[in-house]
Amino acid sequence: MNVGTLAISFLFLLALLGLYLSFSAGRLDRLHHRVETSWAALDAALQRRAGVALELASSGLIDPASAALLAAAAHEAREAHGSRAQAESDLSANLQLLFPTQADLEALIHDRHGEDLVGEVEDAISRVQFAHSFHTDAVTSTKQVRQKLIVRLFRLAGSAKVPVEFPASLDIVRE
Amino acid sequence: MKIGLVCPYDWDFPGGVQFHIRDLALTLINWGHEVSVLAPASENLERASWFVDAGRPIAVPYNGAVARVQFGPLAAARVRRWISDGDFDVLHLHEPAIPSLSLLACWAASGPLVGTFHAAHSRSRALNAASPFLEPALEKLSARVAVSEAARETLMGHHGGDAVVIPNGINFDLFAGAIPQPKWQNLTLGFVGRFDEPRKGLAVLLEALPSIIDRHPEVRLIIAGRGDIDSVTGHLIPATKDHCEFLGIVDDQTKAELLTSIDIYVAPNTGGESFGIIVAEAMSAGAPIVASDLAAFHAVLDEGSAGRFFTQGDSEDAARVISDLLDDASARIELSRRAQLAALRFDWSQVAAQILSVYEMVAIPGGKVHLGEANLLTKRRAGEE
Repeated sequence: MNVGTLAISFLFLLALLGLYLSFSAGRLDRLHHRVETSWAALDAALQRRAGVALELASSGLIDPASAALLAAAAHEAREAHGSRAQAESDLSANLQLLFPTQADLEALIHDRHGEDLVGEVEDAISRVQFAHSFHTDAVTSTKQVRQKLIVRLFRLAGSAKVPVEFPASLDIVRE
Repeated sequence: MKIGLVCPYDWDFPGGVQFHIRDLALTLINWGHEVSVLAPASENLERASWFVDAGRPIAVPYNGAVARVQFGPLAAARVRRWISDGDFDVLHLHEPAIPSLSLLACWAASGPLVGTFHAAHSRSRALNAASPFLEPALEKLSARVAVSEAARETLMGHHGGDAVVIPNGINFDLFAGAIPQPKWQNLTLGFVGRFDEPRKGLAVLLEALPSIIDRHPEVRLIIAGRGDIDSVTGHLIPATKDHCEFLGIVDDQTKAELLTSIDIYVAPNTGGESFGIIVAEAMSAGAPIVASDLAAFHAVLDEGSAGRFFTQGDSEDAARVISDLLDDASARIELSRRAQLAALRFDWSQVAAQILSVYEMVAIPGGKVHLGEANLLTKRRAGEE
């Protein structure tokens, strides 16, 4: 093999590497963008849930003790200066505790207003669960790609922060 | 909302995924959304206005089965044009992890993408080998949906990450409102499906039949669906065969009438079942159900409270459970009531609402689905067409 072919193969390999790097950088960029979007969706879903919980607390449909608990938890979730994940988990736990079964929630339906509100509570709860799953999924995918050798070697992630899961337990299981 | 649905499989060779997409599309259209379905189709037929034909599918062996799908540069160009013409708010890809139109669409598109995973199977080497090639496409999905817990575990086992479970939908009213037919009443067992497919488990039920006949000489087994009759009954003695009736392929209305008439619906599947849509349909028709103890059936049957179970593959156990239930009319009434109640949550009105809320969550205000950066190959092709 002469010097010419060697140089050409070297250039070819370099070009391939360049293509792969640009592909990986694009992929990573897209993933970081997805994490931002999924976090925004989760944030919005959580805020809405806290809002609906406050509304339920002040609706007069539930007893004063439950209302006080729920209002405090919802308020805490909204304002959480310490750990927001903890506050949101607590709100989930409260919602689970106050309405352990589907029937408990449906029992609040006495009129049109009750029906609308219960529907909103259910919708808000399920959206939080969905958004949480989508965000976790986005974070996991991003972390996986960030761990690839080539990504670390060439610092393709740039200055983008390592994404983190939202460490709350938001699942509410109704019997 | 403008919604694009992509079906991976041959539209003219219908199965669970195709029915799911059709019913979802019709429900969404009914609610005033604009829907377009892209699918391969083997026949040249008149189509509904919401259907876009992506050309003929090819049968390829994939992961131990034959998939009738479509791929290649020409298909990629069609997908790209459909996406750019569609101006969708959300693109919903079904079964995007198999090499098909859905995967092509996942590759080509950027923006709000939703993927629904239907299949459930154990980890396979073939799929592990394919996984690194699929990953860059699948990670573009903003939301992953699985139709059952089994499908969710399959997905997470192969690709990691997370997914939400939204069940398959059924037309509850069609089944709940069907009129019982006397010809299918009085000590009847029912079975619906591709009966010569081993994992559907008809063999287990046929093996159980003689001992059921011993206890209930008048019992009849009514079987609806596609399949080769001789291959399943060939080894039976005539005395047993006389208790079987084959209806062939039936339409939805007939299926509903059958399910509402029979005394017990038997789901003897031996595995590979992700959701069990036929069980959900039988439940809405109010049929008492005896099923093999698969996780998927436990989940559908309200964590087991809306049906009776036998050890999968064990025909003696099946015979015992079925005969006991035939003896007990009041237990059948109770099971029927519970099953029908539990099936309400599978009605399309509920299921489509959940799917729609996923759409709303991933849709970006003002941000439509658009074509991503094309690679050199597809860009040129798309220009040609």
